[in-house]
Amino acid sequence: MAASIRLTLSPCLRFIFRGWKFRNVTEYHSNVYNRIHNVYNFREFSKSPVYKSGEYEWQDPKSEDEVVNITFIDREGKRRPVRGKVGDNVLYLAHRHGIELEGACEASLACSTCHVYVQEEYYPKLSEPKEEEDDMLDMAPGLKPNSRLGCQIILSHELEGMVLKLPSITRNFYVDGHVPQPH
Amino acid sequence: MLLKLLTRNRWFMGKLSLKPGDSMIEEMILCRNLLQAVVSNRNGQLHKYSTSTNMDEKIAVRKFEEEGRPLYLDAQATTPVDPRVLDAMLPYMTNYYGNPHSRTHSYGWESEKAVEQAREQVARLINADPKEIIFTSGATESNNIAIKGVARFYKIKKNHIITTQTEHKCVLDSCRVLEGEGFEVTYLPVLPSGLIDINSLQEAIRPTTVLVSVMGVNNEIGVQQPLAEIGAICRKAKVFFHCDAAQAVGKIPIDVEAMSIDLMSISGHKLYGPKGVGVLYVRRRPRVRIEALQSGGGQERGLRSGTVPTPLAVGIGAACEIAKQEIQYDHNRIKKLSQRLVDQISRSLTHVIRNGDPEHSYPGCVNLSFAYVEGESLLMALKDVALSSGSACTSASLEPSYVLRAIGAEEDLAHSSIRFGIGRFTTEAEVDYTAQKCIHQVSKLREMSPLWEMVQEGIDLKSIKWTQH
Repeated sequence: MAASIRLTLSPCLRFIFRGWKFRNVTEYHSNVYNRIHNVYNFREFSKSPVYKSGEYEWQDPKSEDEVVNITFIDREGKRRPVRGKVGDNVLYLAHRHGIELEGACEASLACSTCHVYVQEEYYPKLSEPKEEEDDMLDMAPGLKPNSRLGCQIILSHELEGMVLKLPSITRNFYVDGHVPQPH
Repeated sequence: MLLKLLTRNRWFMGKLSLKPGDSMIEEMILCRNLLQAVVSNRNGQLHKYSTSTNMDEKIAVRKFEEEGRPLYLDAQATTPVDPRVLDAMLPYMTNYYGNPHSRTHSYGWESEKAVEQAREQVARLINADPKEIIFTSGATESNNIAIKGVARFYKIKKNHIITTQTEHKCVLDSCRVLEGEGFEVTYLPVLPSGLIDINSLQEAIRPTTVLVSVMGVNNEIGVQQPLAEIGAICRKAKVFFHCDAAQAVGKIPIDVEAMSIDLMSISGHKLYGPKGVGVLYVRRRPRVRIEALQSGGGQERGLRSGTVPTPLAVGIGAACEIAKQEIQYDHNRIKKLSQRLVDQISRSLTHVIRNGDPEHSYPGCVNLSFAYVEGESLLMALKDVALSSGSACTSASLEPSYVLRAIGAEEDLAHSSIRFGIGRFTTEAEVDYTAQKCIHQVSKLREMSPLWEMVQEGIDLKSIKWTQH
């Protein structure tokens, strides 16, 4: 099947897709990306790394100046201190530290499964929610005046010490105890 | 559909004797009357009735004699479905029966499209965004969601609600329920005119006030509250303003932006739409949050779960569209009929009191107290006209109307009040017939009343000390 597909591709694409067996999707994507760059000889004007969604949060802070400490309170009521950095997205930071914040839509503002309660004194320090976020919050069970979507909270020095509480249920709540995994 | 079929028939149109300048409403009233003539005449001999000016009256009387069906003058209780609304609804009761929330096939898509169009039609009438329109089962549910939902959502910081003593039962009862949950409620008194005292409202607002709920047009006395003024006060104080506009929408111009209304309840069957459907307008900017009363599939922005009934949504949408087009014409016509009714009665009868300030009232709601006549007796005497002695929810009770008590009406006058509801399809002949019948029966009942006799003799009834045996 793969061979027949490869025959129909243009010489350029055949070159790109050569060696089509990869260990995982990420390896495949980076291979294709590199091949396209080689073929078309793209010039890169910026040397700063371009991260895919959630990759930035997996980088450790470069210095102590960047560090922002926050605390998650999970569904069992257990406090989970997390060492983040300026610019971290709360949803992906939670994923890195194994906190059950689902984020079914991968931060595209199309669900409410990363719903969190923000500690009262920190709520005004967050940027105003966009209308799309408000629309998604409408769908969140257990909504409160201090509710926000985790995927829309970006850490800054102002948020040092912030406490985020996870609601008891989300829209993807399962009564049989199944816990949806982040994609 | 029936209307279209009939109007295609030249012979039928000839019978209607319409002139080019006649409005759609007049055409429909004539259609209605001619249809009634056809239905009520067992032999189906149309020629018995000419389309003369007293044709309406003949049909009205005949209708009662043959069918036992009275004339309808209770437009505040409900209104008939406009034939154009029925036309819009019928396809969604037969061919287009898809669930509007089904996303995987055309049956769902066509229903969803119809529901979204209805949302736009409602939004246009009140100058809102379609996304701010939530379909409910009626104004009672809308009022419950708005009042309980807002109060419960913000209860951590705010626990005070303001409303008036003349609100509809469902608003007052919702507030009573919240009082049981620990909320504080201020029931503002109204002036003798039925209007709210703006200064009292300003004084009643506290830092803990979360909501002010004031109705647009009162269902018993027709008084129209100064919504824009109330809205401005609430906006300045950062308090949400809810308006029960069941009796107002489609009858008087309502603009949620100009009036700074944050939540508003609408009823389908009060504006010539179907029963069983209503709307709750919920402002999105500044955002109004609500704790949903009903859990489920998260329809209607998560505020009112449950499948939206497509035919009913289409019906209320069509009713709003028609109201937007004809609001001015309807208002002028109803005002004329209302004036005609009041003039005829007040010319022939003394000791008739109009409840509520006529200057600030919706003309289609005329509440009159006939002194020295028992309201229930008068209703029985006027059995060939459908009238009411209070709101449909409480008129079976022997207690005098709480609305009339709130405006300071004396108990005996409160007991002698009758509400005349004039609507889009009410005719001059019906108004004339009702006025004459009312005059005749009031005079008759007064002749039987010893109190009336004493008043005629110049005795001041208030000076008498009554004893019980």
